Order: sequence, then structure tokens, then C-alpha cells
Amino acid sequence: MEITVNDTSYTIDVEPEMPLLWVLRDELGITGPKYGCGIAQCGACTVHVNGYALRSCQLAVGDLGDSKVKTIEGLGAPDSLHFVQQAWIENQVAQCGYCQSGQIMQAASLLSTNPNPSDDQIDAAMSGNLCRCGTYPRIRTAVKAAAKKLQEV
Amino acid sequence: MSKMLLHKGLVVTLSLSSAIVFTVAMAADEKVEISPPAAGSVSKAQGLNAWSRIFQVASHPRCANCHTGPSDRPMWSGPSYGKPRVHGMNIQAGNSRIGAETILCSTCHTTKSDDWDNANTTKHAAPRVAMSWALAPANAHWFGRTTRQICEQLRDPETNGGRDTLEIAEHLNHDLILHWAWSPGGNREPAPYSLQEHVNDILAWGVAGTPCPEDQSGG
Amino acid sequence: MGRLRTITRRTFLIGSATIAGGVVFGTYLAKRPIKNPLLSDLQEGEGAITPYVKIDANGVTLITPRADKGQGAYSMQAQLIAEELDIDPAIANLSPGMPGPAYYNGVVMEESVPFPAYDKSAMAENVRKFMHVPAKLLAMQITGGSSTVPDGFVKLRMAGAIARETLKEAAALQSGITRDQLKTEDGFVVMPDGTRLSYTELASDAASIEPVTEVELRSQSEWKYLGKPMQRIDMPAKCTGTEKYGIDVSVKGMVHAAVRANPGLGAKMESFDASIAESMRGVQKVLPVENGIAVIADNTWRAWRAVDAIDIKWAAGPYPAGTQEIFAEIEKAVNSEEHRDHRQRDDGDVTTALEEGDNFEAVYKVPYLAHAPMEPMNAIVKVTDDQCEIWTGTQIPLFVRDHAAEMTGLDKDMVFVYVQPMGGSFGHKLEDTHVLQAVEIAKAMKGTAVKLVWSREEDMTHDYLRPGAVAKGRGKVVDGKVEAFDLSVGQSGLMADWFGRLMGMNIPGPDATITTGSWDQRFAIPNYRVTGYRAPVMVPISSWRSVGASGNGFFHDSLLDELIHKADADPLAERIRLCLDDTSRKVLEKVGEISGWNGSFISENRGRGVAFCLSFGVPTAIVTEVTHTDVGIKIDRVFVVVDVGDVLDPINLEAQVFGGVIFGMAHAMNCETTFENHTAQQDNYHAFEGMRLYQVPEFEIVALSNAEKIRGIGEPGVPPSAPSLGNAIFAATGRRIRELPFNKQIDFV
Repeated sequence: MEITVNDTSYTIDVEPEMPLLWVLRDELGITGPKYGCGIAQCGACTVHVNGYALRSCQLAVGDLGDSKVKTIEGLGAPDSLHFVQQAWIENQVAQCGYCQSGQIMQAASLLSTNPNPSDDQIDAAMSGNLCRCGTYPRIRTAVKAAAKKLQEV
Repeated sequence: MSKMLLHKGLVVTLSLSSAIVFTVAMAADEKVEISPPAAGSVSKAQGLNAWSRIFQVASHPRCANCHTGPSDRPMWSGPSYGKPRVHGMNIQAGNSRIGAETILCSTCHTTKSDDWDNANTTKHAAPRVAMSWALAPANAHWFGRTTRQICEQLRDPETNGGRDTLEIAEHLNHDLILHWAWSPGGNREPAPYSLQEHVNDILAWGVAGTPCPEDQSGG
Repeated sequence: MGRLRTITRRTFLIGSATIAGGVVFGTYLAKRPIKNPLLSDLQEGEGAITPYVKIDANGVTLITPRADKGQGAYSMQAQLIAEELDIDPAIANLSPGMPGPAYYNGVVMEESVPFPAYDKSAMAENVRKFMHVPAKLLAMQITGGSSTVPDGFVKLRMAGAIARETLKEAAALQSGITRDQLKTEDGFVVMPDGTRLSYTELASDAASIEPVTEVELRSQSEWKYLGKPMQRIDMPAKCTGTEKYGIDVSVKGMVHAAVRANPGLGAKMESFDASIAESMRGVQKVLPVENGIAVIADNTWRAWRAVDAIDIKWAAGPYPAGTQEIFAEIEKAVNSEEHRDHRQRDDGDVTTALEEGDNFEAVYKVPYLAHAPMEPMNAIVKVTDDQCEIWTGTQIPLFVRDHAAEMTGLDKDMVFVYVQPMGGSFGHKLEDTHVLQAVEIAKAMKGTAVKLVWSREEDMTHDYLRPGAVAKGRGKVVDGKVEAFDLSVGQSGLMADWFGRLMGMNIPGPDATITTGSWDQRFAIPNYRVTGYRAPVMVPISSWRSVGASGNGFFHDSLLDELIHKADADPLAERIRLCLDDTSRKVLEKVGEISGWNGSFISENRGRGVAFCLSFGVPTAIVTEVTHTDVGIKIDRVFVVVDVGDVLDPINLEAQVFGGVIFGMAHAMNCETTFENHTAQQDNYHAFEGMRLYQVPEFEIVALSNAEKIRGIGEPGVPPSAPSLGNAIFAATGRRIRELPFNKQIDFV
């Protein structure tokens, strides 16, 4: 089967029910998306599929079809940061950092459909992403900072 | 399939199938036969009996949790949850009923197009079916409602999506989220009876003239 | 990650005297220099000046031996060295180095001395210093106890200064200009005429001379990095998915393993049927391991699926089957002479004070708790005939090394532990059961690297938990004042249990963690007593962020709050009146000021609670404001004041404070690990929710610098967070909840 991740196409030979997360991590070596729970409780595995945030631990790779996958690595790299990543770094959000790939992908998805979310909308969109270190206050700040960057563009 | 949703000044272009190839593949045993009883063959009393079974289905957590009416918040209740509570993670389905304003239901409730009987074997994972997950329309308010309230809502085309009972039965046949209620997987308690029995009850209730119980505590 | 084998002694190898940068404390036996672990790893042309600085052709590498669990320890250690070495830590290479006894943690043992943190007497200070000796002898390279900064504050700056002065001395010998005329700047020694010699080009000369150990540390006013907002070095990697945690490491030719061990912790596997698993795609081997079974497959998911398909019969766990029975044992221990462990606080005469009259009595409970860091336990192990390599995130690298050596029969020197960044820990990675499982599997797969990743369910049902505890409180109020306070805390002994696993021996004597956070508070209560009672170890237990204080903070401050309310006094004013320690009192006063405290009543259905705990030497006061809404308690605002002495990085301090408070409140709201049929019932986050973004209050945080000693801030935010929330709930609702988690009795928004 063929799948497209970060604009690169890959041929894989796996069971169609294998979760996209494990295809990315173990078959393709793309480790930005993290395993945290396997049941859509933590959001650490969040990627974009056709531009929308999606828990990659919940999508059977066989159901991907022609849809395009983007992971945190495809969003932006240290030398070419996406504006959400920039906001995250400037506000020093990460502690252990393990959940942040997912947090950033969720925030980027939110801002792509709703460039100026209210506080309540941020609280609604970002509460499916668990952070055990408690970086939440800075996640809030960084989402707002990213939205502001978007207004200034 | 793409459409524009307009609400609260927010413009969202949303591909409803968002991530997913939209194929509806149903195994043979999921097919439902729709054959209404002959007109006049179901008495009012039989119709009310049919309704009481329909109510048991509609008020069952597998159905009622996503029929929360004007609230855009799905519920978590039933034997696998303990005390009833709103869906965790501050989930709000919004006016779009699919979470388009903040986070799509399909972010976690992904679409499983193939072999969906086995789609929900992982305990506590987000249920998934071969279509986009969504909250029921606000009119179809079942959670915490009485048998009479639900009955009146379901028989009134103004509040049931403009359907007669035959069309309700057809809807049951096509809406795969509803199929999920009888094979929810993951140690969840299924809705009572079977999908076919439920369809039969709907049809019988229709033929009986969609009677509703007088007494709100009945059913 | 380089492969490190034979010791190649090169031209620039330097003598053991260079260790001085790493070791400044010690007495007799402990004074013997410890081998600098960098020396066995030197290649041609490399020099290692202290155990913390390595210079080679690629530049300067700062060694940061305290593991980073997410609290910025790598950054902070690098910044401490760089401050004296004069190099931009963002430009230097960072490496945790190879584990070695030179990296012993002296401070982590200080918490176990029988003196409260506020006791600065000569006796107390001497005993604390003495605790560095066993830490050194036991080679305790441990990350924990909020100790990275206090332990490294002098050591690491000394290391930087020694390296700097030695590099200058090398330049002086080359140029004939005396050292005092040379300056250093951004990785260069600068001559009076402006000529710049890079540290890299000076390294070989520097390594061949006797290091300069007579150095003076710069005063605070000269600091370039420390004391100012700093950018954490790991931030870009963590925000772009490029940080490699243990779980992300890939080793050539590795296979993937899954383990299912008995959820009855410590009990055997009686039988299994793996016929289905063996025929599943990708499965290479099914292998019984200690108390369980492993599957080796070609990817993680296939290994997990296969292990799920094995039908296993377990022996029952060697402890009571259910939570109720376990707590019955703990309750039985409280106030029983047979179980009395220690009484380190006994002011006045509690027995007489409570003999008669109107006494207050209450029972408090805290549950067992999993650590549940986001990154589950994992390790890669490769065993060959002559060596064992281990890639894992761990707080205890030397114990991992020693245990692996014992299991493989290899020399300790032939076991190499490559410590990886951790996706959280909270104390979870003070244990190495998962690593030893991987070693066991790798032994059966000799020559092939084996990557073991625990599923979330395996992780949460095989944790070494924060022990549950029960406290019986009694007290008396006379004329509006707290006259007597008597707290009896029952808990299993976690230090003995943990040390037993690490050291293979029992440690004798009392277990201070039973009352840490209770007995060592400093209040002027005339009759004031705290007693620890030790229940037997039932389910295995370990350290959990803030250790003993995590439960005692709740016990001590809840009882105090109840007595103050009974006395009809103001909760904040009365704590201030009772507080005997200046630094602590100022913290309380400050939290009153920033929160605009004017009593615990705010308005109808709104209230505020204050709580205080001195833990890890850091007095921490929290005021929490809540609203009792139709759908439950909403935490509105939280004010926190701490005193850590000098603040090295205000940005990271703030993050650790709100992180600690959120961690403490999250578990107090809705987390517990309960047992049925000997098995932990909460096996994933659906049943162990913690706090979500929408529940997070606004924070205001102030750090005072009145304390004399510098302290770590990873943990002190945790202990007072639960009681401040409980006290606030009482203020808003009139309901006093004495058992955690609160959501068993009240809903949260």
C-alpha cells in the first residue's frame, strides 16, 4: 500500500488495521508523533490528515486512502519553523516535551480553521491533549501568541 | 463532499469525510429488512408495547449519550462509566454538531471503513464506524427525557427530520453510528434488543398510528 | 552515541587529580579521588579537564549527568558550567556522559537527615554534609529530590572555573604572558593584544598540565546567564518533534518486544498458551520472563497484539486483594505501638493537653497513585558475549548498570548505559524493572538489540506507586488559638521497599518519608506532636513527585486549617502568627499580599483557601480561589509564593512552580490507583484523568530570595496544592473533604 507523509510517498507492507501511529514510528522512522495511550485519551500522537488534526493511534492505515499525512516534522523544522512552533519556543512551553508534538499539531489545526479563537474555543479545542507536566498555562499563552502572529501576517 | 458552514461569524470549509475515504461497506449480517406490517394489523396497545421497547433503546446510554438536545455536549453514562457525566476533555460539538468550531469529533472518533464489526475491540478507545462521528441534531433530544417527550419528538416530522416511520426505519438502516449502538465493542453494553427488532418496532409503532404513552412516568 | 570499549590512553590523558572540579566535599575514605569517567573515553587529541567538561576537535562538550525528566536539568547544568567557563551553552555540545561514580548526588541524601530544613545549626549542617559520604560511597548517581540545582550549584560552577583557568594556564605557558593578564570570552582565551586562542586548540596543552584548582567563583553580580531569564536549550527540538526520547531511539537490526507480566505484582506466571500468538504475523519468539511472558516481533504493534493473544494464568499477588483490605492494614497501624516508627516532633505535652475537654478528631486519607508519565517505560538492550549496551531514560544509571552486570555476568565496566531524555518521570524512572526485563530478553537474543516498550496498560498496572496513607488528627482550640495538634500518620515504608530493589538489601531504621512534610513544619503550637506508624509493605511502592510530603502536605495543612476554623481565626493571619521561621513567614505574608487576602469568604459560592508546606527546604504558600458552580467546583485563580534562595532562571522556576501545583491539584481532583483481585484498576488515562487545559486556573507566582541556601523547585509546589484546594472548597461550600481524590465526594467543572 502507498501512503503520503510530509509530501513523501512511501510503499508499505502492513496489515490494513495497523494504526497509522505505528506505521509512522516503526515502519517509516518518523518519531515526532508519540505513543501515550493508544485510546485517544492523550493526543500525543496527533498528526494532520488532509489538514485536520487526527489521533494517529486511532486511524487504521488501510482507511487512509489517498489522504495526505503531515506530522510535526512536516509542519516545520528547527531552521524553518511554523508560526505555531515559533510561538511555542518563544513562550518556552515544553517541559518534558513528550506531548508537545501533539499539542502543536492540534493548535495548528485549530488556527487553520479558526484564526482567531476565543479563550473558550481554545479551552475546547485543546482539552483533548493531555500534559502530565502541567504546561497548560503556557499552551494557552502560546496559542494566543500564534493567533496574533497570524493576524500580523 | 464539501460544504460551507456558517455560524457565529466563523467560516469553515469542511470536508465532511475530512480525513477519510468514504466507503460504506456493510457485512451481510448488518443488513436490515424493512417490511412494515399491513395497515390496520397493529393495535394501539401493541403499538404502545412497541414504543416501550423503542424507548428502552432510545434512552439507553449507547443512544442517549449523543442525543443531548440543545446542549452540544455529548454525555458519558451507562454501565462502563459509573456516575453520568458530560464527555470528558471539554468536548463541545458546537452548532455544527461535528465539532467544527473547535475540535472535530472525527479527531478521535476516526472513520473505520472496513470490517467495522471489529473496529471497536480496544477497550476504552474512541468508538468508530464507517462514517463521520457526530452528535445527533438538537431536536432529537433524548438524554434525561421522559418516554412521552421522546415519543412526541420522534413522531413529529417538525422535530424528527421530516420523516414518517418508514423513513425513520430507512434512516436506521443507513446511519452507521446507529448500527454501532448494537455492536459497540470495547466492553460497552449494547443497546437492548437488536437493530432488526428495533426497526420492526418502529414500523409496528407507525402502523399503530405512533401512539405515545399518556403518563410521563410510563414506558 | 559512540561505542565505548577499551581504555585507550592517549597523549593528552590527564591524571586523577583533575577530578577536583567534580568533588569538593568529603571526608576520609570518601576523599579518595574517583576515577574520571571521561578518561576511558578519550580519543586521540581529546582532553578532559574535569568530569564535566570535555574538549575535542568538535568543540566543547558540557557533561550534564543529572537526567532530564522534563524540568530543564540539562539546560540548567550546562548553564552552571558555562557561567564560569565562558562559553555560550547554546553553542556547546551537551551530553549526559557515561554514568560514573564521580557524578554522585550528595544533596539527594540530605533530605533523609533527622533535622528539619529550617534547622541551620552546626550539628544539622554537619550531618547533612556527612550524608554526602554514603552518597559517594554508594555511587548514588541519582536524579531526584529536587536536588540537581543544590547539588550542582557549586560543583558545576567549580568545574567550569577549573576548566577555564586551566585553559588560561595553557595559553599562558604557550605565550609567556601570565595567566592573570588573560581573559576568556565565548570559548576563547583572549590575549592582552586581542589575539584569540580557541579552547579547542588549547585543549591538548591544557590536558597535559596540572589543572588549576585554586579558583574563585564569580559573584552573582558578574553572572552573564544565571539569574536572568534563560532560553531552555532543548526547546526547539521539543517543539519540532526532533528531540529523541528513549522510545524514539533506533539501533541497527533491533527487534521489538512486548511484555505481559503478572498484574499481581511480584507473583509468578502459572501457565500460558501462546499458540495463537506464535502464528501471528511478524512474531519471532515467545519467551517466558520473570513473572510473565515476552513476545519478540518485527514491530511494536505486532508484538503488543501478539502478547494480547496469549492466554495466561496468573498466581495471586502477594498482598491483600483489594484496596479496602490494604487500607484496613494501614489504618490498623496508626496509633499502634507495635507499628510506631518515629516521633520527630513532640513539643509541649500533647497527652495532657488532649486528656479531657472538647477535642477535635478527624481521619484523613490519600490514595495510592501511579506516576503515569506520558512516555511509557522503555529500553533498548543489546547483549553480546563481552558487553551489554543499554539505551534508556533513567534516574538511576549506575544501578541499571550494576543490575545488568549481575544479570549478564559481565563486568560492570562492560555494561554501557546511554541515558536518554525522558518524556516525564515523576519518580517512575527511579525503578528499572523494565530495563531488566529487556536485559533478560536480550540475553536470549544474543547479538540482537531488543527494544522493549511497555504499553500504557502494562505501565500503569506495573508501577511502583505513591503509597496510600491514613492520618488520624486530633487537636484542641482554647480562647481562639490552636492549643494542641496531634497527627499520627500510617503508611508503608517506601524507602525500605525502594532501596531493597536498588541495593538488594534492607535499610534499617525509621522511614522518614512517613512524616516528611508534617513533622518538619515550624509552627508555635504549644502542644505539637507528629508520629509516624509503619504499615507493612503490601503493593510495591516508591517515590512520587515530592515523596512523603505529597501526602503529608495534605494531612498537616488540612488539620491545621480545621483547627484554625474551629478557633474562628483567619486562616492566613493565624498561620502567620503561628509561624516561627522568618523565611516561611515572609512567604505567607507575600501570598496574602498578592492574592488580596481578606478572609476565606469571597462571595456567595466563592471562597479561597491558603495552605503552606516546607518541603525540600522550600517554604511554599498557595492561595486558591474556587467557585461552586451548578456543575461543580471551578478553580479560578491560584497564587503561589516560594523561596528558593537565589533564582537561577525565573522562566523555568515559574514553569516548575505551576507545573508542580497543577500536578498536585490534578491528582487531588480525580486520580487514584485502586486494587481489585490484586490488580491495579486504573490502566490508562480514561481512568486517571488529571487536569485538562479548560480546568487550569490563572496563576500568579512570586519567588522570594530570603533563604540562605539555593534550592531546587521541581517538587515543592506539589505538597501544599491539594490542601489549598481542599481548604478553598471548604470556604466555598462548607464541606470539608478529608479524603483524596476530592471527586469521590464533589464534582469539578
